Amino acid sequence: MTRTSTILLNWRNVSLVCGVLAVGGCSSARPPTATVAQAELAVQEAGQSKAPEYAAGELNIAREKFDQAKRAMDKEEYDLARRLAEEALVDAKLAQSKAEAESTRNAAQELRKTIDSLRGEAERQSRNDY
Amino acid sequence: MTTTYRDWVVRALTFGGILLISGIGAGCGPSTNAALERARANYVQAQQNPQISTYAPVALQEAQQSLHQAEQAWKEDKDSDEVAHLSYVTDQRIEIARDAADKKMTEAEMKRLDEERSNVLISARSHEADQAKQTAHEAEDRARKAEQELADLQAKQTDRGLVLTLSDVLFEYNKADLKPGALHNLYTLVTFLKENPERNLLIEGYTDSTGSDSYNLSLSQRRAEAVENFLLQNNIPPRQMVVRGYGEDYPVTTNNTEAGRQQNRRVEIVILKEGEVAANRMR
Repeated sequence: MTRTSTILLNWRNVSLVCGVLAVGGCSSARPPTATVAQAELAVQEAGQSKAPEYAAGELNIAREKFDQAKRAMDKEEYDLARRLAEEALVDAKLAQSKAEAESTRNAAQELRKTIDSLRGEAERQSRNDY
Repeated sequence: MTTTYRDWVVRALTFGGILLISGIGAGCGPSTNAALERARANYVQAQQNPQISTYAPVALQEAQQSLHQAEQAWKEDKDSDEVAHLSYVTDQRIEIARDAADKKMTEAEMKRLDEERSNVLISARSHEADQAKQTAHEAEDRARKAEQELADLQAKQTDRGLVLTLSDVLFEYNKADLKPGALHNLYTLVTFLKENPERNLLIEGYTDSTGSDSYNLSLSQRRAEAVENFLLQNNIPPRQMVVRGYGEDYPVTTNNTEAGRQQNRRVEIVILKEGEVAANRMR
């Protein structure tokens, strides 16, 4: 009785071990088609945003990773393809957010300059008046 | 016997499994992962930044999700590739959160700057309006002064404009020379014309009916020109004046009495309205 339960317990252990081994060993899942498509869309969007102007380096990294993801797909290295696609997506989004932040900062700077020159103009005018 | 054998197999497999598991653990290196540690520290720093948690909560939330996935991947199977990947995604998402917060703050500042610009423009405009008001006041003052001066000249308002009459007694007898008595009025006229360069003059000479027509025409022309010369000498530009002698035409009263004839011998200076051209207003 005791022996049987020990055996059962041990068998469960064994199957658990095998399960862990299965996950670790043959982890290549199904092709990450949706993830790659999402990455492609993000890279395209970033390309049409202000990123080429303000975050060209970041955008190039995103494009490069996306190309690598497609090559990994061709070689059926799906884990690698998924990671590269996910990274390309986040890189593209970062390129876009960086460009937006930068162009907004520039616009604010322009506005500050405009205000300064308006002030200067007003001061000159009032000096001329009196 | 059979039981013993099976027992042995089970023990061997279990032992092997334990060896394998510890082997995987050993293969993945130490119990901490550098990329994950960095991502975690990075996240904690971002989370403690009130600007990011206020202005980019969604982006920060996404960073937290991938950090959690990285933690899970590390805890469950120590897959260093996946952990490194998820840590990278976390780092990038934190950067996105920083940019998003930065953009929001800059936009808030721009709103303030926009108001500031409006205020500067408004104060500049009200300043301009003050100036315009002052300019208008000055113009009014000038106009009032001009009217006063014209009143001093005792100019008469007629349908042809304001008419200033220099009477016969202000000219030498039968000559075109101005007597000093005429000069006061003419200086006042010079001042007025200098302040009102848009007002043109007709200078018209007249005589009584005594004497020949040609003599009268010539005398009236010369007397009118005498007035013109005086004005020219005082730097009134010639374009502001048109001069004409009419002889005995257009008498203002009868030529049958000496008093009437004296009134008819005269030079009339017609001060036209602003911008009116003299040639168009001639008789």
